[in-house]
Amino acid sequence: MSAAALEVSALAKVFGGLAAVNGVELTVPAGERRVLIGPNGAGKTTLFHCITGTLAPSSGTIALFGRDVTRLPEHRRTALGMGRTFQITNVFPELTMAENLALAILGTDRRKWVMHRSLAAFAAVRRQALEGLERVGLAGRADEPVKRVSYGERRQLELALALNTSPKVLFLDEPCAGLSPAERQRISRMIAGLPRDITLLMIEHDMDVALGLADRVTVLHQGRVILEGTPDEVRANSEVRDVYFGHA
Amino acid sequence: MDHARIVFGLVALAAALALPYYAGPFWTGLATQMLIFGLLALSVDLLLGHAGLFSLTHASFFAVSAYTVAILQVRYGVSTALAAPAGICAGTLLALVFGLAVRTRGVYFILITIAFGFVVWGVAHRWSSFTGGDNGVTNVPFPALGGLAVTSHTQYYYLVLAAVVACGLGYRVLIRSPFGLGLRGIKASESRMRSLGFRTGLHLYAAFVLSGALASFAGVLYVYYNKFVNPVAASFPISVEAALMAIIGGTGTIIGPFIGSGIVLGLRNWVSSFFELHLAVMGAVFIAAVLWAPDGLVGLAGRLRARMERAKEAGRP
Repeated sequence: MSAAALEVSALAKVFGGLAAVNGVELTVPAGERRVLIGPNGAGKTTLFHCITGTLAPSSGTIALFGRDVTRLPEHRRTALGMGRTFQITNVFPELTMAENLALAILGTDRRKWVMHRSLAAFAAVRRQALEGLERVGLAGRADEPVKRVSYGERRQLELALALNTSPKVLFLDEPCAGLSPAERQRISRMIAGLPRDITLLMIEHDMDVALGLADRVTVLHQGRVILEGTPDEVRANSEVRDVYFGHA
Repeated sequence: MDHARIVFGLVALAAALALPYYAGPFWTGLATQMLIFGLLALSVDLLLGHAGLFSLTHASFFAVSAYTVAILQVRYGVSTALAAPAGICAGTLLALVFGLAVRTRGVYFILITIAFGFVVWGVAHRWSSFTGGDNGVTNVPFPALGGLAVTSHTQYYYLVLAAVVACGLGYRVLIRSPFGLGLRGIKASESRMRSLGFRTGLHLYAAFVLSGALASFAGVLYVYYNKFVNPVAASFPISVEAALMAIIGGTGTIIGPFIGSGIVLGLRNWVSSFFELHLAVMGAVFIAAVLWAPDGLVGLAGRLRARMERAKEAGRP
């Protein structure tokens, strides 16, 4: 059997006296779509930060396709195939849409060190950037500065950035946060249309979106995994209902 | 737009080429200084305007390079062909060390670069057996390359002009390159750059060293113009003034630091002729720039143009 795409064991992150992530075990086979749910403060985003290297975990290990990456810096993990989006939109407002995409393309490419040639000379990067924008429905906006586009379009760009680092495992932190119902549908259709060979981990509050996309669901509560199962199992589970809606 | 820019560039270049003929030696000398300090300001702006790092140690590279050239030429009789590259190398080597400052960000970066700057100034000031102390090193000759020698300030002005134009063109390629885009990405969001796979610390370190090398080159041009170098070249006010020039002219542009350099040096020359507290005037100019033209004169011009275009459109039936 080949190694799982992601294997997290005994992962903990302590802030002061608070264990935001408290002994999480998580195994995601390659190609699976896993959704993480849980109430506010359950530790979902902190868990993502630890896995992708934005934060250093207090203890535990993280393996990507069987390779221990716990101590690798964030940019090395990206080079090994982790891609991510941020819950709070994290794009480059001063740059154009195409320049944003160019950075995503160059990030995992040695050409990012080229100093003696203008970026305009790299026709392939430009073409790839335009394709990347088109893929998320932003065709025709390539030379628009990001600070002049709408919030919804920035969320689409956020997704495009992650997709253009050629990820094998993609971490989406509430990709639909703050969007209108129509925009949520657009984004979730885009996510559903991603190639199946990309392993997907997604944090999502909207239960309909979450359960519609997921192969399996992991429920986090107070920094721990309290349940893992198929969407139907999670829907039927009384403990999850208690966590979300309180005791009757 | 691009057409207008080319025309502007050609007119400016023609004006610069003809300057010694219509302006006389005083203005030619001042223009030489403006170009040299504009180049120093441009080197500061590679970090400030593109990478978002506020360095206050660039006088160090400038001065170490100037001292190296002066000591080699005056004390050891080394030729320009060796002394000038040695100056650039010495300044760049120092930048390789001081570049460790990129491990910090924000106010800590500013503070550590200030501290670095004072170390170099202190050495220049105190190690008098080697640096000449307060008197520095004097009697630096004009540069000479084999049989080709600069013999007048006018000739030297043309040499500096050619060097600055070459640096400006090279700088333009650099900031438009993938590496340059990476710097602007780091300025906008370093956390996102890391998650896209950039080793941001190394990227900034490379920019710091390049910027130090450019400041060192400005130091070489300075010492041959000035004919001497003393600890003032390494002093904190030089670093501040270089940053000020970039800010007043417009950060993130190529022409901005040179415009800023012209304004700062021009004002200083003019004000100091009748007012002893000219530093206070410079302070006031700086405050005014930050309050009313935070993106410098280049930015101010851009905003005025945009406003005029809007007014023109509004006036149309």
